[in-house]
Amino acid sequence: MQGAIPAAIRNRLLRAFASKVNLPKNAINQGILVLRSNPNNALQVVRQMSEHRTMHIKPSRWSWNRFKDFMHFYIMLGAIPAALVITYINLFIGPARLAEIPEGYVPEAHEYFPHPITRWLAKHVHKSYQQEYELMCHHIYEIEYEQKLRQAENRIKQKMAEKQDTQAYYYQPVSSRYERSIRDNAQADLEISGSV
Amino acid sequence: MEDPPSLNDKSNSYVEFIKAVYRTVDRPVTWLREKVVVPNRPDNVYYHQKFRRVPTIDECYTDDRVCHFEAQQQFNRDKKVDGEIVQLVRQRYKECLIAEQPDHTRKCAKLQADFLKVSENFCMKYADLGPLNNVKDAYMKQKHRMLWERRHGKVGTGMKNQDAL
Repeated sequence: MQGAIPAAIRNRLLRAFASKVNLPKNAINQGILVLRSNPNNALQVVRQMSEHRTMHIKPSRWSWNRFKDFMHFYIMLGAIPAALVITYINLFIGPARLAEIPEGYVPEAHEYFPHPITRWLAKHVHKSYQQEYELMCHHIYEIEYEQKLRQAENRIKQKMAEKQDTQAYYYQPVSSRYERSIRDNAQADLEISGSV
Repeated sequence: MEDPPSLNDKSNSYVEFIKAVYRTVDRPVTWLREKVVVPNRPDNVYYHQKFRRVPTIDECYTDDRVCHFEAQQQFNRDKKVDGEIVQLVRQRYKECLIAEQPDHTRKCAKLQADFLKVSENFCMKYADLGPLNNVKDAYMKQKHRMLWERRHGKVGTGMKNQDAL
């Protein structure tokens, strides 16, 4: 059988056969997966069923995609609606005109501003100047009251320390407010539940 | 001396052409605004707020903190108003300077004197007191100025002998 096929043809056939057989050297050239030895495991089994698809190794597009998302969000849902609303308000409602305060009329807080958006905010969102002013006045009044009480207390303590003529050392200020409250609560519980 | 010639006196074809170009854009827009947009707007009015006068800091007791607060707020409002007054006078003076440029020393003298007087009064009351509008500091400044004037005469006439202090 040796000489049945001529040498050149036999060599060509052998070369063609060798290029298709499952060997690592063929796989590297053609990019197909082969049965090969893995130093970590015994063998890695790999199928050759898929088409010639490889992973396209490239830098990450994550930042660019996120940038596009943010751009879309802030422009389509932020800038453009805001621009449309503000344009509509400026064109079709427009700023107020200045006028003298009529006799005997006390304008509301929002009637002191010209622009419609400021007027709306002043009417529905913000506290008026007068409201905040009076809140502050009341707060100062309360704080000042407490300060004066404390100052008076300190003056009395100072005098008692100077003169040393009162029995303040032996006087324990006692209030039975809490004991009374506990007693009343216990009584109420007894009435409601029938037992303590 | 007569005023320099202005474009409003005479006109030529070039000026008329430029005005016509301006009108092609301006006329439709103005018509739309005056006939369509403005009549369909609600006619809102706004007012300038008028504040009642409350006792000033020199009329408050020393331990009346609420009175101090109200005097402080009134001082802040007055400072803003006075600042705007100075701005208006300054703006008028500047406009006069620009409009009368070669003759400004002669033609804007009165406005200059007014502006200097107004800004001098503003500085006498509010200047050199730091960034916070402290009404007590301003009050003390007035007190010290009056003391100084009592000892040395009007501000600007120099100090008398140092032993007087």
